[in-house]
Amino acid sequence: MSGASRGAHLAIQGLYKRYGDVQALAPTDLDVAQGEFFALIGPSGSGKSTLLGSIAGFVPPSGGRILVGGVDVVSVPPYRRNIGMVFQNYALFPHMVVFDNIAFPLRMRKVAETEIRTRVERMLAVVRLEGMGARRTSQLSGGQQQRVALARAAVYDPPLLLMDEPLGALDKNLREEMQDEIKQFHRQIGATVLYVTHDQDEAARLSDRIAIVNHGRIVQVGAPRELYEAPCNSFVASFLGEANLFPIQSVAPAVDGTTLEIGGGMRLATTRKPPEAATGAGIMACVRPEAIGLNHRTSAAAGNTVEGIVDDAVYTAGMLRYRVRVSDSIQLTVRQPPGHAAHHAIPGERVVLSWRAEDTLLVPRE
Amino acid sequence: MRVALPSFTALALVYLVLPSLIIVPMSFSNQLYLTFPPPGWSTQWYGAMQTDLSWPQAAANSFLIGVPTALLSVALGTLAALAVVRGRLRFAAAASALLVAPMLLPHVIIAIGLYPVMLDLGLLRGYLGVIIGHTVVAMPLVFITVAAALRTYSESLELAAMTCGAGPWSAFRHITFPMIRMGVVVGGLLAFATSFDELMLSLFLTGPGTRTLPRLIWEQMNAYLTPTIAAVATLILGFSLLLLAVVAVLQRARPVESQAP
Ligand SMILES: Nc1ncnc2c1ncn2[C@@H]1O[C@H](COP(=O)(O)OP(=O)(O)O)[C@@H](O)[C@H]1O
Ligand SMILES: [Mg+2]
Repeated sequence: MSGASRGAHLAIQGLYKRYGDVQALAPTDLDVAQGEFFALIGPSGSGKSTLLGSIAGFVPPSGGRILVGGVDVVSVPPYRRNIGMVFQNYALFPHMVVFDNIAFPLRMRKVAETEIRTRVERMLAVVRLEGMGARRTSQLSGGQQQRVALARAAVYDPPLLLMDEPLGALDKNLREEMQDEIKQFHRQIGATVLYVTHDQDEAARLSDRIAIVNHGRIVQVGAPRELYEAPCNSFVASFLGEANLFPIQSVAPAVDGTTLEIGGGMRLATTRKPPEAATGAGIMACVRPEAIGLNHRTSAAAGNTVEGIVDDAVYTAGMLRYRVRVSDSIQLTVRQPPGHAAHHAIPGERVVLSWRAEDTLLVPRE
Repeated sequence: MRVALPSFTALALVYLVLPSLIIVPMSFSNQLYLTFPPPGWSTQWYGAMQTDLSWPQAAANSFLIGVPTALLSVALGTLAALAVVRGRLRFAAAASALLVAPMLLPHVIIAIGLYPVMLDLGLLRGYLGVIIGHTVVAMPLVFITVAAALRTYSESLELAAMTCGAGPWSAFRHITFPMIRMGVVVGGLLAFATSFDELMLSLFLTGPGTRTLPRLIWEQMNAYLTPTIAAVATLILGFSLLLLAVVAVLQRARPVESQAP
């Protein structure tokens, strides 16, 4: 809001957490730049909340360092870390009105009441809740409650803001609206944000960079586009967006790339080279549904051409999504903007699918 | 069904409550001995209760023991509930069972156990000994009501308070306590009522100077069967019902809401 507090640099070094035999978080390293919006995504139980809780100070780590603005905070109690946190269930204080909720962190810091009034009013304006200070939190909608939680977490200008699935309790439409608000909010407050979600679209929309977490480990870190276009393994490929993944039976060098045998007599062409002299057992072929053309005239030049029969066609959110059976065991997902296809295929129709050889990615099997 | 269920409830209530209510007419008897139904009416026994100084003294003792018992039970029961519900204890379930056990054990067993201990400590027949004894059986009530109150809201409220800069004491004062206040008050009232009605521990642990109302009633029952006993019992009944009514009203009240800024 004042913009005075630039975000803090966050560095996680060798941080890990065990609960008895369960390794909730494997030794992890992570760097988040000043003012960056950084998302953690991963399936439930992958260790995202454990990482966030360690940074906030509720979860004592089993080892490692957490540097906020260059200072190790591991031994600092949560109430002295000066980090903001937004919870999934909002965690608003039900016995306090909106104003008192937002004023709470300032009161804990013994800020003078006149200044509290100014800062809370300013914060109410940032989250577009002017004039709502006297409301009970139970009188607010889910979206409004979440905005109060944002205001409360940011009113003391923390250089680092943690959010654990803040929109998880909202329905889809409201969630998309709130994503825009959070983006806007981040621009205004300038804090470094570490944002946990299990919604890949949400992460891609909001974040500068994303870390994909699985089984207590960070699998890959990158900008949303990097992760989508160059997934480091089959888990990332299927977790972020949709992917057609094929186990590979054998590989053979070709003129300008590699030919992959994927069973059922099918071969795929790729411009990529498998690592070392791989037999194909440890890798998979990955083709994104958008990369596949349906009945394109130029299909001969595409590198990969297969025939199949449409199993079903669904229209969702501005996209036509086809499932096309190309052999007994292999079904491909194809996504096209509706205006794009020469005509819309219907179930039972025979179609030709084609894609460029460079769109056949090779990823380690995970 | 529609008729059967309410009638059954009514019958059960009559069965439970009627024996207690019989002492009310008995206390207004004009006879020298406890009789039911009394052939005539008078209020003389309510006067007799005041002239015999042992009754007011026993009443004072009941409060001198009941109030500290309630306060001690509130302090210990609240701390125990916090530890069990929020403390991430490995043996939380076992701890919980042990904490409510004194409520279920026969008081005579607890009394036999406490008697030699209090004798050793030199606390027998004093106030402190019986206060400690009553706290053993009253504390579980506070534990139960406060633990229930703590389970009505998520721990994330306290975690949120901490990230906002509240230390453990501030978080308790500004967040936890307002959230569990009703449970604490109700538990405290129930603890007081438990001490106020308790006979067995009082028989073992109090002496002539510290005897409580239930103990005095019991002694008088053995010696003289005057309607004074019924008059005292009626007053105790009225007082207990009042406490119960307060508890019922408090439990129906909505959780606290704060003032506007
Ligand atoms: N307090 C705890 N005690 C024991 N195991 C826990 C505790 N908290 C989390 N875990 C375990 O640690 C793993 C990671 O959990 P969490 O960080 O909450 O995952 P996420 O937030 O990604 O869903 C899970 O296997 C979970 O069961
Ligand atoms: Mg989680």
